[in-house]
Amino acid sequence: MEDGESENLIYAIRTLVGQEKNVAKMIARNVKNSGIEVNSILVPDTLRGYILVESSSKIDMQNPALKVPNIRGSVEGQISFEEIKSFLKPEPIIASIKKGSIVELISGPFKGERAKVVRIDESREEVVLELIEAAVPIPVTVKGDQIRIIQKEAD
Amino acid sequence: MVVKACTKCHRLMEEERCFICDLPSSINWSGLLIIIDPENSDIAKELHITLPGEYALRVR
Repeated sequence: MEDGESENLIYAIRTLVGQEKNVAKMIARNVKNSGIEVNSILVPDTLRGYILVESSSKIDMQNPALKVPNIRGSVEGQISFEEIKSFLKPEPIIASIKKGSIVELISGPFKGERAKVVRIDESREEVVLELIEAAVPIPVTVKGDQIRIIQKEAD
Repeated sequence: MVVKACTKCHRLMEEERCFICDLPSSINWSGLLIIIDPENSDIAKELHITLPGEYALRVR
Protein backbone atom coordinates (compact mmCIF):
# COMPACT_ATOMS: atom_id res chain seq x y z
CA MET A 1 0.00 0.00 0.00
CA GLU A 2 2.88 2.35 0.66
CA ASP A 3 3.89 2.84 -2.95
CA GLY A 4 4.42 6.54 -3.66
CA GLU A 5 1.46 6.82 -6.02
CA SER A 6 -1.24 6.61 -3.39
CA GLU A 7 -4.65 5.45 -4.53
CA ASN A 8 -6.78 7.31 -2.08
CA LEU A 9 -10.46 6.57 -1.70
CA ILE A 10 -12.96 9.19 -0.70
CA TYR A 11 -16.10 8.22 1.17
CA ALA A 12 -19.09 10.25 2.17
CA ILE A 13 -20.39 9.77 5.68
CA ARG A 14 -23.87 10.93 6.56
CA THR A 15 -24.17 12.95 9.75
CA LEU A 16 -26.81 14.84 11.58
CA VAL A 17 -27.25 18.23 9.91
CA GLY A 18 -25.35 20.84 11.91
CA GLN A 19 -23.07 18.30 13.56
CA GLU A 20 -20.69 17.86 10.61
CA LYS A 21 -17.75 19.63 12.25
CA ASN A 22 -18.19 17.88 15.58
CA VAL A 23 -18.36 14.48 13.91
CA ALA A 24 -15.26 15.26 11.84
CA LYS A 25 -13.31 16.32 14.92
CA MET A 26 -14.36 13.22 16.83
CA ILE A 27 -13.41 10.92 13.95
CA ALA A 28 -10.06 12.69 13.63
CA ARG A 29 -9.37 12.16 17.33
CA ASN A 30 -10.41 8.49 17.23
CA VAL A 31 -8.46 7.75 14.09
CA LYS A 32 -5.19 8.99 15.57
CA ASN A 33 -5.45 6.48 18.40
CA SER A 34 -6.79 3.51 16.48
CA GLY A 35 -4.53 3.57 13.43
CA ILE A 36 -7.15 3.44 10.68
CA GLU A 37 -5.73 4.90 7.52
CA VAL A 38 -7.70 8.11 7.31
CA ASN A 39 -5.63 10.82 5.68
CA SER A 40 -7.98 13.73 5.85
CA ILE A 41 -11.56 14.72 6.58
CA LEU A 42 -13.30 17.36 4.53
CA VAL A 43 -16.33 19.29 5.78
CA PRO A 44 -17.57 21.64 3.06
CA ASP A 45 -20.11 24.22 4.17
CA THR A 46 -22.14 23.67 1.05
CA LEU A 47 -22.70 19.98 1.75
CA ARG A 48 -25.11 19.82 4.65
CA GLY A 49 -25.38 16.54 6.50
CA TYR A 50 -22.31 14.91 4.97
CA ILE A 51 -18.59 14.80 5.57
CA LEU A 52 -15.99 13.44 3.17
CA VAL A 53 -13.31 11.10 4.48
CA GLU A 54 -10.15 10.42 2.49
CA SER A 55 -8.59 7.07 3.24
CA SER A 56 -5.96 4.87 1.66
CA SER A 57 -7.86 1.69 2.53
CA LYS A 58 -11.47 0.64 2.64
CA ILE A 59 -13.31 2.08 5.59
CA ASP A 60 -15.23 -0.33 7.76
CA MET A 61 -18.13 1.50 9.34
CA GLN A 62 -18.29 -1.16 12.03
CA ASN A 63 -14.89 -0.12 13.33
CA PRO A 64 -15.20 1.16 16.92
CA ALA A 65 -13.25 4.29 16.01
CA LEU A 66 -16.09 5.28 13.68
CA LYS A 67 -18.75 4.70 16.30
CA VAL A 68 -19.32 8.37 16.85
CA PRO A 69 -22.56 9.96 17.97
CA ASN A 70 -24.54 11.81 15.28
CA ILE A 71 -23.31 9.59 12.45
CA ARG A 72 -26.18 8.43 10.25
CA GLY A 73 -24.33 5.83 8.19
CA SER A 74 -22.18 6.03 5.12
CA VAL A 75 -22.87 6.40 1.42
CA GLU A 76 -22.19 3.34 -0.71
CA GLY A 77 -19.41 3.68 -3.25
CA GLN A 78 -16.53 6.06 -3.59
CA ILE A 79 -16.10 9.57 -4.83
CA SER A 80 -13.37 10.49 -7.29
CA PHE A 81 -10.88 13.18 -6.41
CA GLU A 82 -12.02 15.27 -9.38
CA GLU A 83 -15.49 15.50 -7.92
CA ILE A 84 -14.37 16.98 -4.61
CA LYS A 85 -11.99 19.52 -6.16
CA SER A 86 -14.76 22.08 -6.33
CA PHE A 87 -15.15 21.89 -2.55
CA LEU A 88 -11.47 22.59 -1.96
CA LYS A 89 -11.47 25.95 -3.69
CA PRO A 90 -14.91 27.37 -2.95
CA GLU A 91 -15.78 30.29 -5.15
CA PRO A 92 -17.14 33.31 -3.33
CA ILE A 93 -20.89 33.04 -2.87
CA ILE A 94 -21.26 36.40 -4.53
CA ALA A 95 -20.24 34.97 -7.92
CA SER A 96 -23.39 32.86 -8.08
CA ILE A 97 -25.79 35.64 -7.10
CA LYS A 98 -27.63 37.57 -9.74
CA LYS A 99 -29.64 40.75 -9.58
CA GLY A 100 -33.18 39.76 -8.64
CA SER A 101 -32.18 36.61 -6.76
CA ILE A 102 -34.09 35.82 -3.61
CA VAL A 103 -31.80 35.33 -0.62
CA GLU A 104 -32.14 34.74 3.09
CA LEU A 105 -30.08 36.65 5.60
CA ILE A 106 -28.25 34.26 7.88
CA SER A 107 -26.70 36.71 10.34
CA GLY A 108 -26.98 40.27 11.51
CA PRO A 109 -30.05 42.18 12.70
CA PHE A 110 -32.20 40.90 9.84
CA LYS A 111 -31.35 37.23 10.40
CA GLY A 112 -34.02 34.97 8.95
CA GLU A 113 -35.53 37.62 6.72
CA ARG A 114 -35.88 37.09 3.00
CA ALA A 115 -34.71 39.72 0.61
CA LYS A 116 -34.29 40.46 -3.06
CA VAL A 117 -30.89 41.38 -4.48
CA VAL A 118 -30.88 44.89 -5.90
CA ARG A 119 -27.20 45.48 -6.59
CA ILE A 120 -23.97 43.50 -6.34
CA ASP A 121 -20.59 44.98 -5.47
CA GLU A 122 -18.17 42.26 -6.47
CA SER A 123 -14.97 44.03 -5.54
CA ARG A 124 -16.08 44.53 -1.93
CA GLU A 125 -18.07 41.27 -1.78
CA GLU A 126 -21.17 43.17 -0.76
CA VAL A 127 -24.76 43.01 -1.92
CA VAL A 128 -27.53 45.53 -1.61
CA LEU A 129 -30.82 43.88 -0.66
CA GLU A 130 -34.42 44.88 -0.28
CA LEU A 131 -36.33 43.05 2.41
CA ILE A 132 -39.39 41.35 0.96
CA GLU A 133 -41.59 41.52 4.01
CA ALA A 134 -40.87 45.14 4.81
CA ALA A 135 -43.75 47.51 4.08
CA VAL A 136 -41.42 50.12 2.67
CA PRO A 137 -38.50 48.84 0.58
CA ILE A 138 -35.33 49.87 2.37
CA PRO A 139 -31.99 49.01 0.79
CA VAL A 140 -29.76 47.04 3.14
CA THR A 141 -26.08 46.46 2.39
CA VAL A 142 -24.60 43.22 3.71
CA LYS A 143 -21.43 41.17 3.19
CA GLY A 144 -21.61 38.29 0.77
CA ASP A 145 -21.22 35.63 3.45
CA GLN A 146 -24.22 36.84 5.43
CA ILE A 147 -26.71 35.55 2.90
CA ARG A 148 -27.90 32.23 1.58
CA ILE A 149 -29.40 31.85 -1.86
CA ILE A 150 -32.98 30.63 -1.94
CA GLN A 151 -33.85 31.28 -5.56
CA LYS A 152 -31.17 32.02 -8.11
CA GLU A 153 -33.16 33.54 -10.92
CA ALA A 154 -35.65 36.34 -10.87
CA ASP A 155 -39.19 35.28 -11.73
CA MET B 1 -12.82 30.76 22.85
CA VAL B 2 -13.13 31.95 19.28
CA VAL B 3 -11.55 29.80 16.61
CA LYS B 4 -9.73 31.86 14.01
CA ALA B 5 -8.04 31.02 10.76
CA CYS B 6 -4.77 32.26 9.34
CA THR B 7 -5.43 34.34 6.25
CA LYS B 8 -2.46 32.80 4.45
CA CYS B 9 -2.13 29.14 5.47
CA HIS B 10 -5.80 28.75 6.57
CA ARG B 11 -4.77 26.89 9.72
CA LEU B 12 -7.30 27.13 12.55
CA MET B 13 -6.16 28.51 15.89
CA GLU B 14 -7.28 30.57 18.83
CA GLU B 15 -4.38 33.00 18.77
CA GLU B 16 -4.53 36.46 17.24
CA ARG B 17 -1.54 35.74 15.03
CA CYS B 18 -0.55 32.63 13.12
CA PHE B 19 2.64 31.29 14.67
CA ILE B 20 3.84 29.87 11.35
CA CYS B 21 3.12 32.76 9.00
CA ASP B 22 3.16 35.53 11.65
CA LEU B 23 0.08 37.08 10.10
CA PRO B 24 -3.12 38.17 11.85
CA SER B 25 -5.83 35.52 11.93
CA SER B 26 -9.43 36.04 10.88
CA ILE B 27 -12.71 35.02 12.51
CA ASN B 28 -14.38 35.05 9.12
CA TRP B 29 -13.81 31.55 7.77
CA SER B 30 -15.89 28.66 6.56
CA GLY B 31 -15.52 25.00 5.71
CA LEU B 32 -13.40 22.60 7.74
CA LEU B 33 -10.58 20.37 6.58
CA ILE B 34 -8.79 18.06 9.00
CA ILE B 35 -5.49 16.79 7.68
CA ILE B 36 -4.25 13.76 9.58
CA ASP B 37 -1.58 12.40 7.25
CA PRO B 38 -0.40 15.13 4.85
CA GLU B 39 2.14 12.80 3.20
CA ASN B 40 -0.50 10.41 1.90
CA SER B 41 -3.40 12.79 1.41
CA ASP B 42 -4.29 13.94 -2.11
CA ILE B 43 -6.31 16.80 -0.65
CA ALA B 44 -3.29 18.06 1.31
CA LYS B 45 -1.14 17.88 -1.83
CA GLU B 46 -3.72 19.77 -3.86
CA LEU B 47 -3.80 22.56 -1.29
CA HIS B 48 -0.02 22.39 -0.60
CA ILE B 49 -0.53 21.54 3.05
CA THR B 50 2.46 19.91 4.70
CA LEU B 51 1.51 20.00 8.38
CA PRO B 52 -1.28 17.97 9.97
CA GLY B 53 -4.01 19.91 11.70
CA GLU B 54 -7.29 21.67 11.18
CA TYR B 55 -7.75 24.09 8.33
CA ALA B 56 -10.48 26.33 6.96
CA LEU B 57 -11.48 26.04 3.33
CA ARG B 58 -12.22 29.72 2.87
CA VAL B 59 -10.84 32.63 4.87
CA ARG B 60 -11.55 36.28 4.39
